[in-house]
Amino acid sequence: MRVYATYNIKGGVGKTSTAVNLAYLSAREGRRTLLWDLDPQAAATFLFRVRPRVKGGGHGLVSRKRPVEDALKATDFDNLDLLPADFSYRNMDLDLDDTKKRTTRLGQLLDTVADDYDVAVLDCPPSISLVSENVMHAADVLLVPLIPATLSLRTFNQLTRFVGESEGHRPEIVAFFSIADRRKRLHRDVIAALPRDGARVADTVVPSLSLIERMAEHRAPVPAFAPSSPAARIYESLWAEVRPS
Amino acid sequence: MISAPGPLHALDGGPLPVDPLLKALRKAFTVQANPAQAVRRQRLDTFDHLLARVGMTLEQLTTPRRGTRLLLRRVGAPDLATTVDGQRWPAMADALPAGALRDAVAPIIGIRALVQQGDERRTIRRIDLRNGDGKVVARIALDEPVSASRSRGGAPTVSVLPLRGYDADARKALAIGERVGLIDETTATDADADASAPAPKPAPPHRDDPAAALLAQALQGFSAAMADNLPGLIDDIDTEFLHDLRVAVRRSRSTLKLGRPALPDTFATRWEPAFKWIGDLTTPVRDLDVYQLDLPTMAGWLVAATPADLQPFAEHLARRRTTARRTLLRGLRGTRYRTLVAEWDHDLAALAALAAAPTEDGPTAGALADTAVSRSYRRVARGGAAIDVDSPPEDLHTLRKRCKELRYALEVFAPVLDAAKRKQAVADLKGLQDVLGRFQDSEVQRLALRDFAAEMMADGTSPAAVLAMGELIAHLEAEQARARRDFEAAFATFARPASAERMLHLGGRP
Repeated sequence: MRVYATYNIKGGVGKTSTAVNLAYLSAREGRRTLLWDLDPQAAATFLFRVRPRVKGGGHGLVSRKRPVEDALKATDFDNLDLLPADFSYRNMDLDLDDTKKRTTRLGQLLDTVADDYDVAVLDCPPSISLVSENVMHAADVLLVPLIPATLSLRTFNQLTRFVGESEGHRPEIVAFFSIADRRKRLHRDVIAALPRDGARVADTVVPSLSLIERMAEHRAPVPAFAPSSPAARIYESLWAEVRPS
Repeated sequence: MISAPGPLHALDGGPLPVDPLLKALRKAFTVQANPAQAVRRQRLDTFDHLLARVGMTLEQLTTPRRGTRLLLRRVGAPDLATTVDGQRWPAMADALPAGALRDAVAPIIGIRALVQQGDERRTIRRIDLRNGDGKVVARIALDEPVSASRSRGGAPTVSVLPLRGYDADARKALAIGERVGLIDETTATDADADASAPAPKPAPPHRDDPAAALLAQALQGFSAAMADNLPGLIDDIDTEFLHDLRVAVRRSRSTLKLGRPALPDTFATRWEPAFKWIGDLTTPVRDLDVYQLDLPTMAGWLVAATPADLQPFAEHLARRRTTARRTLLRGLRGTRYRTLVAEWDHDLAALAALAAAPTEDGPTAGALADTAVSRSYRRVARGGAAIDVDSPPEDLHTLRKRCKELRYALEVFAPVLDAAKRKQAVADLKGLQDVLGRFQDSEVQRLALRDFAAEMMADGTSPAAVLAMGELIAHLEAEQARARRDFEAAFATFARPASAERMLHLGGRP
């Protein structure tokens, strides 16, 4: 099972849209795919019309009182299952802190369903926390959406340093620009100026498109409700850059 | 997650009560009917139904909208699907697209090819059942034949497709289906059965029945296996068709030999040589199949050479096999084989008729079984005890043949032997057979490799190939020596008093 995580310390940069659309595209290609909505805001869960409730909550999962398998929900799409968010995930740091393997427990939980899936996509909450440390240990690829702004680059540098200095498993970092507006000079300048030496930067740039925002209205991934749209093509292009070979 | 329930049928196999079903479903769900789709459904499995035996169903589904995809259904596990492009069947597992579906199928089918077991054109209407949040919580598939003819296999069906995490909704949909008069296939009444159902198996012979009846039944089974495997052998679908035909031939030969006291004389004078001829006809291709199948394993034995060095050997085998198959097909398509098969079936029918007539002549099945098993056992015990460190390989080969004969006796006479004791007896024998098999296979392959190498050198092959084959010969010699060392312990286990006691009282005698 190849594990992807969409991660950024900042919120509102397109993590959930990316996780939902890439997970859908993975499943559409026939890969058994799991999307784990780790964000207590439950946006990905909402987009798939699943109720944001996990029996036993985050504590039940992290403490292993409840098996991951029991919390899984099929989405409306073939090959795509969801591990829903639960509001109790807001306390996941505390739950993780109580465990023996506090930085690898989420990876251990994923291992319990690894035979059932080819791809897992983790949609992470915006923070640097024990949850994010777990995600970095569990993920093979860290997908980092960046808004083309100077402060975003600073945050990205912090992240690459953090991953570079962490011990043990280090995921491959793939950054990509998100909510970009090429009409803005600043965006063009930042996209051109991003240093490519520390991490891989995807060629695909996800622009600011109203169709992406309308996912919440349709409650479905873009390629599902607008398969021929430019937005769908962009996510297909991004997936083509990172999908398992 | 609950397993997908079996398809539901209308009580009389007729049209589905679609309107009452939808009406009832609307009371519990928001029902969204999707447009009907024409589907070509080709069911795939190996010739011997290896997938069905483990509860798997593999279908190639072709629709105008979604193209062609493979769908694997499994008991107690989620379905797997993958797109496939222009695949023709039969094909081996490596023709499946890489991924989870191939990973699930390949270990089950091994070296057998997937062949088309059914081809239907159906109309599928998928109905989504949604909850109050608009989430799909279960699906219904209305599956109807395109043509008007409705045999049992092609009858219209309704399937409830459960979704993970929504078991209660699937159960609710199933209950609604049953309330409107749909029935599970497994509870269908006898009236639904039609002529396409397989014929019931004949009753197993009893110990007091004439031995000829048991022998006729066994030989007819082997004859049917030969006929079943012949087309696949001729088309070269996979190597197991030839293997299974040869097994049927060997079993026939052993049965003829073991059954001599109860069979007409012509069975010994005519049919024993006839089956030997068929066995000999098929041996060269089977031997070459074994080398080809073992090549990847053999490549793993190499120490100094690389697997690529064996490529000329692989090509030599392929050329030899093409020539050997030509000879085999000439034999199987020739008058001699066709006449033998026709006359064999005739003689078997006559034997079965003779055995059915009340007569006091000939031994009973139980008496013949006891004699055959105990005689075969004693031959193995005597032969094994006579083997010492100086015995030539031929003696071990002879013992292996005697073991096979005993094994066949245990199989042919199984219906009139004590099942539990017979099972243990087979287990006792198997350890010895394994050791002898390792010894003899190593011996034969080692000598054959020398011959192949000589042929290849005459054809001007590369020294690297010959050196690699030398490594294989050295490995086989070491393996043969290991098997030789293991023989004593294996035979001691086989010949221990408890095993001997069991073997001599399989018929239930005190």
